[in-house]
Amino acid sequence: MRRRNILIALSTLLAVSLVATPASARQQDTPAPHQVTDLTVDQADGYATLAWQPVPDATDYQIERTAVDATDTPTGPPTIVGIWRPNRQINQTSPTFADAGFHPGDRFRWRVRARIGTTEQPWSEPVAGTTTAPWGNPDTPGEQLRTQWETTRAAQYTSDTDEYAYTAAIDQLSDRVRVVEIGRTVRDRPINMFVIGYPTPPATPAAVAATAPVAINCNVHGNEPGDREACLIMARQLAFSTDQRVTDLLSHTTVLIVPTINGDGRAANTRGNSTGQDLNRDYSLIRQPETAAYVAMIRDYRPVAGYDGHEYGNSRAGDLPMLPPRHQNVAQSIFDESQDMIEGHMYREGAQAGWWACPYGCEGGGNVGLSEETILRNTLGLKNVVNSLLELRSSGGQTRPDEGNTANNRRRKTYSALWTFHQFLDYHRAQLADITTARAQAITGQAANTGRLVFRGSRPIPAHPAPHPGDSPPPLDAPRPDLILDNPPCAYRLTEEQYHGARTDGPGGTGTTVAQRLAAHGWKVVKTGDSYYVPLNQPERGLIPLLLDAQGVENLTDGERVYPTLTGKRTGPLTVTGFACLAGATVTGPVTVRPGATLVATGSTITGPVTATGAAGVLLADSTVTGPVRITGTTDAISLIDVTVTGPVDLARNTTGADTPLLAGTTVRGPLTCAGNAPAPINLGITNTVHGPRTDQCAAL
Amino acid sequence: MPHPRTAPALAAAALLLAATACTADDSARPAPAPATAVAVTGPLCAALPTGSEPGNPTFLAGQPAEAALTWMPTLTTFEAALRTSGALTGLDTTGGITILAPTDDAFAAKFSDDTWDTLMTRDHQKLRTLVTAHLIAGAHTVDELAAAGTTRTLDGTTLTVTRTGPTTRFGGKADAVCADYQAARARIHIVDTVLGPLPTTADGTGHRAH
Repeated sequence: MRRRNILIALSTLLAVSLVATPASARQQDTPAPHQVTDLTVDQADGYATLAWQPVPDATDYQIERTAVDATDTPTGPPTIVGIWRPNRQINQTSPTFADAGFHPGDRFRWRVRARIGTTEQPWSEPVAGTTTAPWGNPDTPGEQLRTQWETTRAAQYTSDTDEYAYTAAIDQLSDRVRVVEIGRTVRDRPINMFVIGYPTPPATPAAVAATAPVAINCNVHGNEPGDREACLIMARQLAFSTDQRVTDLLSHTTVLIVPTINGDGRAANTRGNSTGQDLNRDYSLIRQPETAAYVAMIRDYRPVAGYDGHEYGNSRAGDLPMLPPRHQNVAQSIFDESQDMIEGHMYREGAQAGWWACPYGCEGGGNVGLSEETILRNTLGLKNVVNSLLELRSSGGQTRPDEGNTANNRRRKTYSALWTFHQFLDYHRAQLADITTARAQAITGQAANTGRLVFRGSRPIPAHPAPHPGDSPPPLDAPRPDLILDNPPCAYRLTEEQYHGARTDGPGGTGTTVAQRLAAHGWKVVKTGDSYYVPLNQPERGLIPLLLDAQGVENLTDGERVYPTLTGKRTGPLTVTGFACLAGATVTGPVTVRPGATLVATGSTITGPVTATGAAGVLLADSTVTGPVRITGTTDAISLIDVTVTGPVDLARNTTGADTPLLAGTTVRGPLTCAGNAPAPINLGITNTVHGPRTDQCAAL
Repeated sequence: MPHPRTAPALAAAALLLAATACTADDSARPAPAPATAVAVTGPLCAALPTGSEPGNPTFLAGQPAEAALTWMPTLTTFEAALRTSGALTGLDTTGGITILAPTDDAFAAKFSDDTWDTLMTRDHQKLRTLVTAHLIAGAHTVDELAAAGTTRTLDGTTLTVTRTGPTTRFGGKADAVCADYQAARARIHIVDTVLGPLPTTADGTGHRAH
């Protein structure tokens, strides 16, 4: 049956061709009314961008593709593969369409015609081209690697074992790549991460962090594998390409690619992991080993920008719905920069390449794209990472009518993800200064612990101006009054049982302790007396209450709110023996922190020396100190963020165990001395201003 | 967290991969070619691997049924369910087996994500019941099944098999959309509706938010 249909179609086509005017004569013809003109095709990885002159009054356009041989003789029936609609791109003067789904490397002929209402107008003159073959010279070691998905022409997804073999081969053959195992799944599958840099990736997580890396999370839902295949292909390109763009990108940052955090779910083709847990509802709680591994990776490698890959069942959405971190506790600067990445960069570049990037939701999106901090998009935002969710529309939908063929559908999704991830790298390369500025503002702003907290509720995403790619922005999702805390505490106090007690909320009814989870998040915790305190004057201030406040919608434990102990003026010596919290305080006189005690300060001014010897913790943010600051022998945590010290600062012989002292965005009008601290202080990429000499461990901060 | 460590280099596997540019899975190796090309029928066939493409029906004819299913890109849900349930593993299929394999779209129309994840991660007995409702003893073509008029699935249910024009319908609701795949001692018919006793839980809104 099928063969006969093709033959009929072929003979029809041949008949049409026979009566058509020869090409040479055609070019001189005046176009028919409403005929599309100036059709061009540009080939890229897995897709072909068609562009043409717009036809006045066109309602939409149809894109037709025909397989042809080397002499451009059709070898298959012409097929309408695309519908261009005005909401597809932000500029209407240069319509483009990224045709994808075909087997890369095959040759095709394309035509485009306008429709006015439902009336079809004349086809354009055709353009033909050979599409770009799967990336990598088959005869060049490394470049010749292919995934299972590629070799099976998308009939099969790359299996776990094939992924490991492919990953190991890239690791072995490329100096630019180091593959690290960041954890294991519930069923003990390795969770690998490509660490890619040029000429080689930095040797340690801290050294990688110093390059302001980018992170791509490719497969959290096991039944949404399209992005993962793109990631595997991109890893090969980054590992072996001699293209100047690639080496330039990799010379300026480190690319972190986690192809599969949910290997168990991928193997079973389920959304959740092997316990049925939706991992993208677990990035704050980190009950599961997969999410805990990713969050600990964020702590250690400190990416400044991220993408999180998914597929989306809304058939009316664009090709590539995207959404920034929206939770209202996310710093404005991170939200703004993420929006700029999406609407400023992806919408613009999408209109060039022909991909339909759009806001999450688009048409008929429903009540999705909200503020759950359990979702990586929001978790990352609350960790001051510029980032976006990426969806690949599951079905061909109304604009890609040829995707009943599953391989076509799979290839379109994967190559659209590949385009997005490359654009993401380009954005990072071009906007790194803006990204790091946004991050520095976010971190110092969070550590200042000012302004209300919300437990759930989103920043609004206004509709993009018409003709926007997208008719409806995601829901407003404003915070409910009962989920707003206008008076933020200084810290949360946890009991021994809360902090170290056994938990049942992990796989098989065994959960890691709160202590382990807060450590994975990288939060500073100090023990003073019998209690554990989690101060809010930390970079991830917006996330802390969501896990530790009794009002948190999905919290870990009901911590006790601790409010400031000193807010007004005080003259005379201040000796801290327990947990002291200064907020908006003015202290004139020496401040002494006794062994085992903790000093937390925000928005405060201290005139007089600050001396801490053997303290549990000293955490100062958004404050001014006139006088020397000497912190020695601290046992739990040290943090100086956005502090101005007039006088010397001396950090010596502090042994804070797993906690890395922070000295970030701080001005020291005097010498800065750091010696014998274990671990050595870091600056989170926010440099300090020091007017005197800096020595030893602080020389590069 | 364990300290990150370098992934073990699977050098041998990698070399195999590089040399063959193919999967390490046994199923990817060329099967003995059957004497004649296998003809599959139905409206979905054109959207599946055809001609000389990897996974074409003739290539699959010599494969074990489980391996053949992995090459049918619309069967990712059923393939995983069959594997997870172990329904075929413990089965004596020397007398042949017929598999009525619902498409991914059929599963999406039948079960919500939550239901499906629960079946796949916890309710394996129920999953097995569901899967066996799609298995029939003996390797039968759709013509044979239609001529018989009824058949019995391995869960003990009797299904009507009716023929209307070119369409073969099972249990009054599941149409064969690409029938008569051959595999080793097996026939596979792709159907557009999930059979079996479980209630429908999909709400028709597609899968969940990210």
